[in-house]
Amino acid sequence: MLMPKKVAHRKHHRGRTKGVSKGSTEVTFGEYGVQALEPGWITARQIEAARIAMTRHIKRGGKVWINVFPDKPVTVKPAETRMGSGKGNPERWVAVVRPGRVLFELSYSDPVVAREAIDRAIQKLPIKARFVERDESL
Amino acid sequence: MAAELALTAQSGRTTGSRETRRIRREGKVPGVVYGLGADPVAVAVDWPELRRVLTTDAGLNALISLEVDGNKQLSIVKDMQRHPVRRDVTHVDFLRIDPDAEIQVDVPVTLEGEAREVIAESGMVDQSLFTLSVFSKPDAIPDGLSIDISDLTVGDAVRVSDIALPAGVRTEVDPDEPVAIGTVTRSTLEAMAAEEAAEAAELEDGEAPAEGSEQGGDADGDGGDADAGGDD
Repeated sequence: MLMPKKVAHRKHHRGRTKGVSKGSTEVTFGEYGVQALEPGWITARQIEAARIAMTRHIKRGGKVWINVFPDKPVTVKPAETRMGSGKGNPERWVAVVRPGRVLFELSYSDPVVAREAIDRAIQKLPIKARFVERDESL
Repeated sequence: MAAELALTAQSGRTTGSRETRRIRREGKVPGVVYGLGADPVAVAVDWPELRRVLTTDAGLNALISLEVDGNKQLSIVKDMQRHPVRRDVTHVDFLRIDPDAEIQVDVPVTLEGEAREVIAESGMVDQSLFTLSVFSKPDAIPDGLSIDISDLTVGDAVRVSDIALPAGVRTEVDPDEPVAIGTVTRSTLEAMAAEEAAEAAELEDGEAPAEGSEQGGDADGDGGDADAGGDD
């Protein structure tokens, strides 16, 4: 699973996710993409699940790009612990996503299969997302 | 080769985010006209009209005869901003151009033909260059460039030097820059390895019962222990 090799700070604040994505809003590398329509946190597991769903569906002859990286640690306090006594332990890594962000890109010869693969990847995500293409009409 | 398309722009729009929002609400697209050493002019154009001129064969490189305050000026769309989610056009930049001078534009590159050898080896054609920056006079701007990939093989590439540029069009992009590469991706190799492993396992399963069923029972037992260990 994706995670940083080393970090400056082990525990982050949660932060706010406002507005729309400032970059990576177009399909750049492949021909098709998954675009986020809602803000949210995508965990490393969800990214991996979506990647596997896509690659298993296309079987062979395609290429997948992952455009997000889970670089934010999420801490969780142990169960049945009283409040206080400091922040919990890092539990998982997430990527902060704003609407408009292209999360994955896919290159595949058959557009029908590519769309099916992307629909499967979207099923693995905790946010609303849509299928986008490189050549968008006006 | 693009023909000139007429578009009327209203100048004198008030700048600022609130006013610009009002302009967009009226079905217009705010923009700016600049180039050829003249002062930039803030304009607004009707969205249906803009859409009409940008959906021809020439695409975004359409030559536009832009009328601002009664003055017609040849121009092209230099930049276009779109909303990342709604995808509507939020701003457009027009560049004034000299009909006799060379300009730099990005022309879409399309792949033609079928790379049969690549497909036969379960590979894919990875296109890395989707637009080519070319210099040409406005009336010679090609609508698109195509490159034949029929002879492409795995590990081979078609390059910028393989693109046949029309007369009057030149590029300063490195001729060795790859446009498309025939490749077998890592995931494909993994899938092929997994299929081969499954086939080998099936063959072994077919031969195994002849040797004795007791060994199979032991193996299952070991597997169960391993699972329990994994859960811990």
